[in-house]
Amino acid sequence: MATQIVMDRTGDTRHEFDVADSNAVALAEERFRQLTGKGFRAVALGRDGKPGNLINKFDPNVEQTLFIPQLQGG
Amino acid sequence: MEQVRGILRDLLRRALSEHARNVPALADITIEPAAGRLEPRLWVHFTNGYRAWAPVRAQDFYAFCERYLAWDLPSLRHALLQESHEIYARMCAEHWAELARVRERRGMAAALLDRFRRRADGRGRVFARRPSAELDPPPLGDAPPRRQETQRRLLEWWTQQRHEYARNAFYGQGLTAEVGSKRAQERGIQLLKEHLAPVQRQQYEKHGYFDVVGGKTGKRYRIRHGRQMNIEQLDRNGRRVCGWCFYPQGNLVAGDVMLAQKLAIELFEADALRIANRF
Repeated sequence: MATQIVMDRTGDTRHEFDVADSNAVALAEERFRQLTGKGFRAVALGRDGKPGNLINKFDPNVEQTLFIPQLQGG
Repeated sequence: MEQVRGILRDLLRRALSEHARNVPALADITIEPAAGRLEPRLWVHFTNGYRAWAPVRAQDFYAFCERYLAWDLPSLRHALLQESHEIYARMCAEHWAELARVRERRGMAAALLDRFRRRADGRGRVFARRPSAELDPPPLGDAPPRRQETQRRLLEWWTQQRHEYARNAFYGQGLTAEVGSKRAQERGIQLLKEHLAPVQRQQYEKHGYFDVVGGKTGKRYRIRHGRQMNIEQLDRNGRRVCGWCFYPQGNLVAGDVMLAQKLAIELFEADALRIANRF
């Protein structure tokens, strides 16, 4: 199972999908496309607090993808 | 000439802003020669051990050297020190005057508030604890109604300021208070802790902040619990260099904001700092 975590006002929303299920993967890919299109940055989270990687292309094999909304200066 | 004075003023101002009440005396000025790709640095040292530096360019110093006829390093250092002492003396005088003005303003406000309280207590009321809407109208023959209204508004404003200050002090994050439901805040903190390194988690639980190393520059940043104005850049000795403010859009809870800030510093530091405001 892979998880997409989207940061939002409720803390976060998690979408889990089975990488063997092509429909679920297509849905996850569509979500990835929509969110990154809105300006979210996708990060493949590392284990034990390691930095992970910034990803620009959907990869169903990434265990946990975190979507960070666009940044702004304060 | 003005450029050199500007650099000196900036360096001296840093010392004043970091040591508001215990202003240290100026001890020395040193010039660190260029090394590799690093530009020469001007260091200002203070008696309490605090020191600050700024990069300098030879062309900025030409007019200064001409003015003081300082064409070698020791005489340039001497001239800089002399100039700095003059500037610092003026800045310290302004600093102390400003502090005195602030103290005076606070004293006046406190005295005014005490006067209101005494007057209210004299009438047998617990003035401060009652909502302003419940206050009885002033008795006839007392001060004119307009003046009473101004006093009431002033007291209301003062109470509001006090509550605001107390709330900010309680959350310990300056300008920002928590947003979102308690559940959302907990989820945010949980998500943050899941993705902190063990050392960072321990640091966060103990001190309310954690340190992050910039993925591009290797610089050290400290992210404090908060949503805005909560990032500090540290030098090699762990001293604050400056603050940075950036956060994800969408009024997110503190845990999410801090995780986004951590990942931004680690993964796209340059982009994040380009967006951020320095303070």
